[in-house]
Amino acid sequence: MELTAPRAAPGAGPGAAAAVDEALAEFAAEVGPSGPVCVRGGGTRWCQGGPGDPEARVVAAPAGVIDFEPAEMTVRVRAGTTVADLHQTLAAAGQRTALPVRPSGTVGGALAVGESSPARLGLGPVRDALLQARYVDAEGRVVTAGAPTVKNVSGFDLCKLLVGSLGTIGLIGEALLRTRPIPQTERWVRAAGADPKSVLGQSRTAASILWDGSAVWVLASGYEVDVEADLGELAGLGDFEPADPPELPPHRWSCSPASAASFGPERLGGDGRFVAEIGVGVVHADRPQPPRQMSPGAARLNDQIKARFDPTGRLNPGRRP
Amino acid sequence: MDLGLDSDELVSCVACGLCLPHCPTYVISGRDAESPRGRIALMHAVQAEGAPVTDEVVRSMQTCVQCRGCETACPSGVPFGHLMEGTRAALVSAGRITGRWQRLGLAALGRPRLLRAASAGLGLLQRLRMIPSARLGLPERIPLRRPRLRASGADVLLFTGCVMDAWQRPVHRAVQRVIEAAGAGVTPTGAAAPCCGALPAHAGLERLSKSMAERVMAGLEGLGGGAGEVPVLVDSAGCGAALKDYGRLLGTEEARRFSARVFDVHEWLAPRLDRLPPVRPLEAAVAVQDPCHLRHVQRAHEPVYEVLEPFVESVATLDDDGLCCGAGGAYSVLEPERARMIRDRKLAALERSGATVVASANPGCSLHLAAAGLDVRHPLELVAQALEVPALRA
Amino acid sequence: MTGLLSRAAGRVAGRRRSRPDPLVADLVAALGPDRVQADAAARYLASRDASIFSEGTAGPVCFPASTEQVQACMRIAARHHRAVVPRGAGTGLSGGAAPLGSPVVLSMTGMNSVLEVDLDNRVAWVQPGLVNLELSRRVAAHGLHFAPDPSSQQACTIGGNVANNSGGPHCLAYGVTSAHVAAVEVVLSDGEVVVLGGLEAEPGGYDLRGAFIGSEGLCGIATAVAVRLTPNPPAVKTMLAAYPDAASAAATVGAVIADGMVPAAIELMDARAVAVIEEFARAGYPRDAGAVLLIEVDGMDGGAAIQADRVVAIASANGAASVRVAADEAERARLWKGRKNAFGAVANLEPDYYLHDTVVPRSKLAEVIEAVGEIADRHGVSVINVFHAGDGNLHPILAYDSRIEGMTERVAAAGEEIIEVSLAAGGALSGEHGIGVEKRDHMDKMFSPADLDHQNRLRQAFDPHCRMNPGKVLPSPHSCADIASLKAADGALWG
Repeated sequence: MELTAPRAAPGAGPGAAAAVDEALAEFAAEVGPSGPVCVRGGGTRWCQGGPGDPEARVVAAPAGVIDFEPAEMTVRVRAGTTVADLHQTLAAAGQRTALPVRPSGTVGGALAVGESSPARLGLGPVRDALLQARYVDAEGRVVTAGAPTVKNVSGFDLCKLLVGSLGTIGLIGEALLRTRPIPQTERWVRAAGADPKSVLGQSRTAASILWDGSAVWVLASGYEVDVEADLGELAGLGDFEPADPPELPPHRWSCSPASAASFGPERLGGDGRFVAEIGVGVVHADRPQPPRQMSPGAARLNDQIKARFDPTGRLNPGRRP
Repeated sequence: MDLGLDSDELVSCVACGLCLPHCPTYVISGRDAESPRGRIALMHAVQAEGAPVTDEVVRSMQTCVQCRGCETACPSGVPFGHLMEGTRAALVSAGRITGRWQRLGLAALGRPRLLRAASAGLGLLQRLRMIPSARLGLPERIPLRRPRLRASGADVLLFTGCVMDAWQRPVHRAVQRVIEAAGAGVTPTGAAAPCCGALPAHAGLERLSKSMAERVMAGLEGLGGGAGEVPVLVDSAGCGAALKDYGRLLGTEEARRFSARVFDVHEWLAPRLDRLPPVRPLEAAVAVQDPCHLRHVQRAHEPVYEVLEPFVESVATLDDDGLCCGAGGAYSVLEPERARMIRDRKLAALERSGATVVASANPGCSLHLAAAGLDVRHPLELVAQALEVPALRA
Repeated sequence: MTGLLSRAAGRVAGRRRSRPDPLVADLVAALGPDRVQADAAARYLASRDASIFSEGTAGPVCFPASTEQVQACMRIAARHHRAVVPRGAGTGLSGGAAPLGSPVVLSMTGMNSVLEVDLDNRVAWVQPGLVNLELSRRVAAHGLHFAPDPSSQQACTIGGNVANNSGGPHCLAYGVTSAHVAAVEVVLSDGEVVVLGGLEAEPGGYDLRGAFIGSEGLCGIATAVAVRLTPNPPAVKTMLAAYPDAASAAATVGAVIADGMVPAAIELMDARAVAVIEEFARAGYPRDAGAVLLIEVDGMDGGAAIQADRVVAIASANGAASVRVAADEAERARLWKGRKNAFGAVANLEPDYYLHDTVVPRSKLAEVIEAVGEIADRHGVSVINVFHAGDGNLHPILAYDSRIEGMTERVAAAGEEIIEVSLAAGGALSGEHGIGVEKRDHMDKMFSPADLDHQNRLRQAFDPHCRMNPGKVLPSPHSCADIASLKAADGALWG
């Protein structure tokens, strides 16, 4: 087995050679160079991307926060860490990430699935949170994608390819994530009958706008003075009152922002329940989205990517994003 | 081939490309050979790398409007206009550009009587419908007779020039009226200073332009009785830019002193606006077209707005960053297709402004824009018109 | 016209005029004579960009007007076994648009339209030749703008921004180009058109859009881009803090971030930068400052005011001699004008400059700037620092005169040491200029053979025959093209 060449870790002085983290090396050894293998995090989103091959050996990435530097707004974390644990560590310094928090959901799982938090409008998508990844490839090598800095255009952006790839390109062992300050105030409000598009056009603090076809929920987020001012303005669009966010139906539809804002029960057979993320385009519904067609050109490129990175198809067989 | 360009000036371009959107020919073509950066690179290739002067290199230089919009945009202060004039001079010497007929035509600019005769001839041909005026960039109706300009004092000299004096004398009259309204006596320079030499300089005819410059300085020496300190006011941006450049062109102390007393008429008028009587503003929505030689070369376009403001209903600034209109002295005649494409962008900007009247302080731009059917006036024509109707005093 | 062209075509191949180059003939047949230039002047100019790299010689230069014409060029180039290099405004600094070998160059400047402004989805479909700043102007009436604002934004194109995943001062808060592109229509090296990404929230499959952005022309040519439009912030406060030295300015950067703010931009300029900027732009920077920080915060009125107060307090606590808050839009524009014109203004010092670009952790800024100064001194090169301090993106400008013997080599040596210092501090090779030719041979300082192998796999999934912009980004032997063979052009350009 061949490991990646040792290289300087952030914070290491000139010439210092920090070898690959021991836990990561062990993970790579466990994955090995052959045989079908499937990586599993919290198992929260196995409804997406196919059932997986039951014959494949199941592995799990190591856990633990390696390095958190509040003044850098980055955190290096092992992929098996739950997002909840990670956020608990970050909260001590008033920070968090854009990763969605699900009970038992892991960092690696969130990245591999690539689904953003319902507060994507304010937090940004998951794919923009990953700055550097160390993953085990089909040959059992540790590969590094990206850079340990908040900005980087050194070479091809393999991180983007990993996010949402369901572990079919490589198995993420370690991630360097961008963090964000937790705002001074975050407050959910709800108004029945408000027009979601007007709310989107009006609000300057909304980190999330949800709409179930009749009521609009807004997560107002930011400085208290701004949230107050914003809610004052929103009063012109509806009777907004403090409220808990709505429960999200289990299935996830991907639409354009415009079509999510004009979603209707007719698309769910007339009587379905849905909650649309306004300004984003994700619609949470009580039944699955009909299969979407990929153009032949895009399908061919997807196949070529998979073939180049995992020629024998051993990584997470049976699953495809 | 040695273009005779200053090596320091030539290498001062760092090829950053910030000039590109400010170059009218690059904007319409998207071609590097028609950009300031590309032209400088080709000058460098020819002068320093031994590249031959191919037809395409010549075309690259010929297509330049010489608006010098790139100079105001250039963070490195590359003296592009100087480099281009030098390159053209070298190409003229090498017999690569500027045909004999063009030289003859340019030489005629310095001979008022010949010019008047030629102009009258053109005017006659025009009335007989024997020449396509719009295509040649001629005024709709070349005057056959011109109103006289008379001196009213010697507080300022008004430089009258060549073509402008032949075709646009009413502008001079309006300008003179406005200056007089501000309480100053005016001596029009007339035949004492026939031509500023700008057009020959742009064409690369350096000797001709220098001799014209010397003639202007000599002609204005002591004109009107002043001791060489009377301000020389210019109502044509192109001429003003040329007169202000005599110091550099001739390189003498005398020329530098002369250039220092040259002002665009708006520059002179703006601090004296309080001397003009109050009037009722003209009911006209005016858009100001900044002539390149006022904005990019003299860098004195702002006084035009200041001068116009009290005299018209509204003054609009165009949103095109002062991009050239395509007139470029003789450019609209030599490169009609490019000139028209560049003008189309200016017309679009004018349309967006919502104005009905265009104010332009340069005769070349006025003719070029008027040929597209616009109502174009000299800014001081508008002011003079407003001054004709005294305001009702409170 | 045809006569001229066939003559030029003859020159390309060094043949007589009676036998035009068949490649040029095919391109002319597909695009028309006005959209193909094969003369030496056009090729000479297409052989260089804003960088100091120009090793190859452009072949014929094409100016396609449509996606179909781009497809035709790609197919013709493939048939003639010629590589293709896309080109925008040529403002790149890493040699990304400067061809190696003698490829067909596709200049995309003619495809510069806004195809559609889709306000409901807050995106605009634009052609790649559209100028970055022009895009923001075109949507300004809707209160929107395109957030990435590279210093060359008045000239650089959206296609070039996509190829380089361009940043700019305001990327600190808003993110780089990748965060602002929803979809890209791409022509692949075999001429096929494919749309990567989409307007929907979670397009299926791999994020090929994300993989394409920043691929420096090696994965295909963007022919249409769906850019996300960002609402203009209602309140903006711009501040200029002057310090006795760069270290205290750098300390302020970390302190501001640690305080829980993400300003819209934090730019640092050292003493020499201030001097040269004041000389040209007269932005009103204090000439006696050892360093200045240009800090911008935005948001709603209340929050922007709170942030501005915090920034002023933190700057003062870290040794700022003065902090000025721009009173109006005119003053704000003037402060930014100084920053945006800094690089070109350097030419007032020396005829040439090498604008470097590395990233380091914010906590290492002071130490790395000092090391950069020491490196420059040792090599006898002037260095000026103007950079995006908020995200640790250094831009040391090495100013020099290439006419002095040995100077270029000294600059190159200093540049290499700056890379080493940055990487040793836990940094990255490039923050926004890209790798191109400039840093290709340094890639193995940052990445292992396995890492580079994976980058090449990505590239080959898009372009199996490596016909797109060969010889860039990936060093031998991780690149499928033989880089050494690309340097020699076929025949003398000016023939």
